[in-house]
Amino acid sequence: MKRPKLLIGFMLAVIMALSVVRIGIENSISTTGIELVRLQGELDEYKKENYQLEEKYLAESSLTEIASKAATLGFVDAKKTVYLSTPLPLALKQ
Amino acid sequence: MSWRLRFGLFIFIAFFSLITVRLFYWQVVRAEELSSIGEAQYKKRVIQTVERGEIKTSDNFPIVANRFTYLLFVNPKEIENKQDLSEILSPILEMEEASISARILADRFWVPIKSQVDSKTKEDIERLDLAGVGFERQIKRFYPEASMSAKLLGFVGKDEDGADKGYFGLEGHYDRQLRGKGGEAVIINDAQGRPILSKLEDNSGAVDGRDLVLHIDRAIQYMLDSTLKDGVERYGAEGGMAAIMNPKTGAMIAMSSFPSYDPAKYEEYSDKLYRDPFISDTYEPGSTFKPLVVASAIDAGVIEASTRCPICAGPITIGEYDIRTWNNKYRANATMNEVIVHSDNTGMVYVGRSLGLDRMISYLGKFGIGSLTGIDLQGEVVPSVREKGSWYPIDLATASFGQGITVTPIELLTAFSAIANSGKRMEPHVVSKIITPEGEVIEIVPKVINRPISDRAAKIVTEMMVNAVDEGEAKFAKPKGYRIAGKTGTAQIPVAGHYDPNQTIASFIGFAPADDPKFLMLVVIDRPTSSIYGAETAAPIFFEMATNLLNYYGIAPNE
Repeated sequence: MKRPKLLIGFMLAVIMALSVVRIGIENSISTTGIELVRLQGELDEYKKENYQLEEKYLAESSLTEIASKAATLGFVDAKKTVYLSTPLPLALKQ
Repeated sequence: MSWRLRFGLFIFIAFFSLITVRLFYWQVVRAEELSSIGEAQYKKRVIQTVERGEIKTSDNFPIVANRFTYLLFVNPKEIENKQDLSEILSPILEMEEASISARILADRFWVPIKSQVDSKTKEDIERLDLAGVGFERQIKRFYPEASMSAKLLGFVGKDEDGADKGYFGLEGHYDRQLRGKGGEAVIINDAQGRPILSKLEDNSGAVDGRDLVLHIDRAIQYMLDSTLKDGVERYGAEGGMAAIMNPKTGAMIAMSSFPSYDPAKYEEYSDKLYRDPFISDTYEPGSTFKPLVVASAIDAGVIEASTRCPICAGPITIGEYDIRTWNNKYRANATMNEVIVHSDNTGMVYVGRSLGLDRMISYLGKFGIGSLTGIDLQGEVVPSVREKGSWYPIDLATASFGQGITVTPIELLTAFSAIANSGKRMEPHVVSKIITPEGEVIEIVPKVINRPISDRAAKIVTEMMVNAVDEGEAKFAKPKGYRIAGKTGTAQIPVAGHYDPNQTIASFIGFAPADDPKFLMLVVIDRPTSSIYGAETAAPIFFEMATNLLNYYGIAPNE
């Protein structure tokens, strides 16, 4: 009758140990919901900021905007393009 | 067994049976309903908004990007004073007070008030700390270059279920690639409504849309937009369109048309402006069609550049019709080169007759006249070529100089790619590659559709077109020192069975440098009023743009 007692004792110990582990895990994840909400909010905020910065950057670097600013600064279209002609190759004396 | 025991047993069995029946009712009969009620208490379904793919020009600049906006909604059951709320929101949202009021009065938990609310307005409303008012994030299209190439791009509207859907142009053609795959995620909440990380289910398979990278060169597109717009205004035209293609690859470098619209506010414009006329409108090409017919005749071996026209001394009578030249001047025994240079209709009648109806129809088919080009834009149409049995001699004669036959501008441009590209006709393409959210690049390779004419025929016609530019009516506008192949067109507009003598569609098609083309361009001006001729309207716009392009590509004059 000694062995069943040992077995029962061992099983009770395992149950108790697992219960303690479960309490520990539940305790640790019980706050992750709050953390998740915080992280989700933070992520949304960064995404929003990223979109706003990208929008500003694209609007500022658009050709429409650059052309408008260039005109305001007094730049005008080039009327004539000058090409520098390169000398034609000469036949080398044999 | 005493009666007491029996009674006790009976009571026990009766209660046990009652419990069993009740459990059966809950767990079997109403199982599904109760399960969903239970789930509703701890599960929350979240619609996952996916990001629509961006559209980028060849320099990787997003010509169509996305921006955050918000949907403002209210929960009428949480609002204490509905009238006050309507009064507060009305000026901020720029909406009628009655309109807001009518929505708030609905007996529901969630009522949308206004979509596409910007961040600043959202923050202004949030500062007021109004009960029952909330925001839902939305993604809206943003156009950094405003209405540049609007008709090419198309716009994003809603489908019958209220979901985003692309219409017209690239947004329409590539809608499935751009839209991605939306989905739902399920979050399991604790008693306080906070999500439990370990129970988050995210198996919706939501995927962002794919990006498109175009062949469109942003700088050239900008130049074309402004040059064409100025030209349309300068010549008092009703509208205009132009496109530039790389004839060796079929890559569309720029496409523009006026009048246009703002894709960000498409609903404020007439729906007639949504279509891109370059692929959706048909017109009679007039003299710009002549090089195609001459190329066909040379390829068929029935004429050469030096062949003389024996019927060009005066008007040609066919049945009840007289075929005349555009200026009523005639050149007896003109060569085919002179026929193209002086855009001689009588000479083209001779070419048409030499070619014959069967070969004419066959070559039109080879040049893609009467077929879709396959351009990757939504809205391409194709006018049909008349059946072989319904051609009369007058039809063959007029078709040879581009009247009585209709094409779309993209059809004509694609047909000319064969002349500019040693006889090979290329499939036009706007998109060069598709990029998946994972970064995989799907290249769209150039495609040769067919080879309607030989390299030799293409070279001879190119030389004729160079002469047409150097000696023709539009020579005053040509930039000095370059060999440019081109042809003017002035097509009358058919109105109620006859041609309107005062209204024309003026056009110019050409490519440069003629011996190694970097671009092929078609300019079409609709009903110009300052002059009805292509040489005085479309040609100057073509050459102004050609000069810009030659400078942009750094091509030095060589003559």
